[in-house]
Amino acid sequence: MNKITDLMKSKRLYFDGGTGTVLQKMGLPSGQPPELWNLMEPQKIISLHKAYLDAGCNIIKTNTFGINRDKYPNYRELIRAGIDCAKKAVENRSEKFIAFDMGPTGRLLEPLGDLPFEEAVSLFADNVRAASECGIDLILIETMNDSYETKAAVLAAKENADVPVFVTNVYDADGKLMTGADPAAMIAVLEGLKVDALGMNCSLGPDIMLNIIGEFRKYASVPVIVNPNAGLPEIRDGETVFNIDEDDFSDYMVSLAQQGASILGGCCGTTPDYIAKTIAKTRSIPYEYPTAKPVTMVSSYTHAVIIDDDPILIGERINPTGKPKLKEALKNGDMNYLLNEAVRQTDAGVHILDVNVGLPEINETEMMVQSVSAIQAISDTPLQIDSTNFDTLAAAMRVYNGKPLVNSVNGTEESMIHVFPIVQKYGGALIALTIDEKGIPDSAQERAEIAKKIIVRAAEYGISKKDIIVDPLALTISSNPESARVTLEAVRLIRALGVKTSLGISNISFGLPQRNLITSTFYANALQNGLNCAIMNPFAAEMMNTYYAYRALNQLDNGCVDYIRYASASEQPAAAASQPKTETLHTCIVKGLKDRAAAQTISLLETSEPIDVINHHIIPALNEIGTAFEQKKAYLPQLLMSAETASVAFEEVKKKIPVEQKDSSKAIVLATVKGDIHDIGKNIVKVLMESYGFTVYDLGRDVAPETIRDCALEHNCMLVGLSALMTTTVPSMEETIRLLHETDPAIKTLVGGAVLNQEYADMIGADFYGADAMDSVRFAERYYSGRT
Amino acid sequence: MNSGDIRIIEATYDEVAVNPCELALRLHTERGYVDEHILRCMDMLRRTAHYKCVYIRTDVDLSRNGQCDFGFMNIHSKHLYTNLNQCRQAFVMALTIGRDVDRLLQRLNITSQADHFIADGIASAAIESFCDYASDIMKADLNCAPRFSPGYGDVSIEYQKPLLERLHAARLLGITLNQAYFMTPSKSITAIMGIQNE
Repeated sequence: MNKITDLMKSKRLYFDGGTGTVLQKMGLPSGQPPELWNLMEPQKIISLHKAYLDAGCNIIKTNTFGINRDKYPNYRELIRAGIDCAKKAVENRSEKFIAFDMGPTGRLLEPLGDLPFEEAVSLFADNVRAASECGIDLILIETMNDSYETKAAVLAAKENADVPVFVTNVYDADGKLMTGADPAAMIAVLEGLKVDALGMNCSLGPDIMLNIIGEFRKYASVPVIVNPNAGLPEIRDGETVFNIDEDDFSDYMVSLAQQGASILGGCCGTTPDYIAKTIAKTRSIPYEYPTAKPVTMVSSYTHAVIIDDDPILIGERINPTGKPKLKEALKNGDMNYLLNEAVRQTDAGVHILDVNVGLPEINETEMMVQSVSAIQAISDTPLQIDSTNFDTLAAAMRVYNGKPLVNSVNGTEESMIHVFPIVQKYGGALIALTIDEKGIPDSAQERAEIAKKIIVRAAEYGISKKDIIVDPLALTISSNPESARVTLEAVRLIRALGVKTSLGISNISFGLPQRNLITSTFYANALQNGLNCAIMNPFAAEMMNTYYAYRALNQLDNGCVDYIRYASASEQPAAAASQPKTETLHTCIVKGLKDRAAAQTISLLETSEPIDVINHHIIPALNEIGTAFEQKKAYLPQLLMSAETASVAFEEVKKKIPVEQKDSSKAIVLATVKGDIHDIGKNIVKVLMESYGFTVYDLGRDVAPETIRDCALEHNCMLVGLSALMTTTVPSMEETIRLLHETDPAIKTLVGGAVLNQEYADMIGADFYGADAMDSVRFAERYYSGRT
Repeated sequence: MNSGDIRIIEATYDEVAVNPCELALRLHTERGYVDEHILRCMDMLRRTAHYKCVYIRTDVDLSRNGQCDFGFMNIHSKHLYTNLNQCRQAFVMALTIGRDVDRLLQRLNITSQADHFIADGIASAAIESFCDYASDIMKADLNCAPRFSPGYGDVSIEYQKPLLERLHAARLLGITLNQAYFMTPSKSITAIMGIQNE
């Protein structure tokens, strides 16, 4: 074991303080990066370190915060020089440690920014490898304001060095990172990744940190680091000054130490005086190593979900088993369907979303990684990664931003030896199924025995009991009459082992009519027996009724607030159903009443043929609003709402049309051209095209010419719509048109976008310029009726 | 305020009236037009947007023709030089309505293109309106030149980098730049506003 991890078990340790402000006093010109001095002024860097060591700190941070290979081609040399300075400073001193310091890259990771996750890992990994060659005592990843970048840095550190890893994040005045994570979420992910200490640095000052230290004390099982700024920087007479002096700073640090901070130090604006005073005032405060917190948590990039007495709902809808539409969407790579399911389930109130994309026809690992990333781009609900493929689990857990729930391990040797190492590396709470080589035992006792075995084996991999959630497997009562009784007994026995439980609740009613009646009653029984998590369908009203009623009855819903809100909302659909008698599908579409269009269409389909509903109701309504738009009597928001409403109606009509009769002859490829990331205009055209019954191959934004050509050829689609918003990307549009025309002169190109006009479109060789979305639809209609 | 001090202005959605001209421009409607869909999207933004501005008042040296020297950055630009027209000081600002708005827009991009278009338009109008709101507070009784942002005229968008660094915008506002110098959160603005007299 490394000496520092031993030492911090018995005593409070101290970091050094700020670097930039002290170096500026030594003559570092404003605007010059401090790390350049590792080579230019090494003696000054050594004296900076020595000043902090003389002040009494135990750990010095190397002057390497801003170094990475993107910023400095000679990053290795700079890192080596920085570590050399630190080594010279600690020579002949005992209990002094060198922390290799890594700050953020300065770029935001995808999906919000443009830095891919693995590229971030690789940037940090190069730093870690360079530092490891020089000999360091620990790695400090600091001033991180994004949970995803933090994870990238920790993975790089763990995969490329064998020293302790400490992490500190920057929390804002509202107690969150810039990208939204609160302390519990960061503790969940960082302890999952097995860091040795964690906490906060920089920020607005120690006063702000006092507001959130309680969260760390409550959830952290490893030592908590507190390295604040000396308040907020202000520039006075050309000099940067901080508004908290060393006396006030050290007083705050006393409070922080009393409230559980284990390792203290400073950040911007602090000097050796700040650290010396902090040490003097806190040395006599009794030190306690943090206790292990038995809290079961999973997290996303914003918040943690704590699994305890309050029941947890896990949405089961993203699983292709028995869902032909999802199967079809996965096969076609249609991410929108899956994302809609994610949003709908979250809106329905689930706490965690199960994600299972296993289908024989697709590459499950690629699809899982793509799905996890896509869902996390639009939803901060924590995910349950659900696969029987170990590679899929590992790949998805690696890119997941947070601490996932993992579904699942079981009591077979094959499962345990593969799943435990993945969870050990990436962190996660684990669903453990009570099944082993002999199958699912008949008795509750035997299922509890398997649970015990899994708990013991998991501990060998450092996976704590709090991260095991046992699923004793509900089987359908239609073929296993004993199932409900045995499963409930197993839930009780397993809870007595001190672990949490979960059930795929819907299985109990498989093969029976009115399944929700059985499922929801079983769910109530299971909750009464101590069930924590249910993998369930949140659109089944009976299930949600049981959930809210149970919480209200068991003092889990203070003042029945949630129940009242739920019950009031449940009454509203009945009121909404009483639509005015004069309302028709036509008026719904013209007014953009999306919520009511499906019911109107279903009602029409009872008496009309599908094709008549399209030709006599949907298209005339669309034409009415389209004409109003062209005559400037209606506006774009109305046109779009009408188009979406028409699409809802189309969906209902499509269900009634046999597959062989579906008309996919009217099709268009749409893309925003290479280099352009604006897709609103293209999306408007898409919505309108779909509402008019076109099949749209939407390639998204920033699409290479070759990709557009390949799509047109693959689908034999001779109509291609291109969008560009920036003048700088019009050449890219021109290149795309040239390539398409060279490939097949019969391909027609339709262009639009804020920077284009007819003249420009002619110049770049486009076949048609759409001044607005309606104009584009009219052209496409003419094209397919042979009138162009 | 002392020259160079960083100041912060915060506001809520309801405190900053969305400029009806800006809104009409973004939504392609006539001025003053609202309907139930627009009101619904406004409500989403009311719950999501966090208006925050960081600014400094700083000296500007225009002694060399075509160069606007703010101390921390020297912008070579005829257009800005003309805009500042003998100002000796300027406000330099960065503003945003927050990262949660980006997440809302990403989500609407999946669930409803109509809602996405409308909410995006309102958000764009909202950040412009906030810029006016914050500028009025900065100006108080001063006469100021029209605001000027990196990317206008001959001022390279690359000047956003030193400007944001000087304002500690990453830490105070959560604004970062990508490699093409686009800001995240996307509904953010950087600007310079010359002070014409005291």
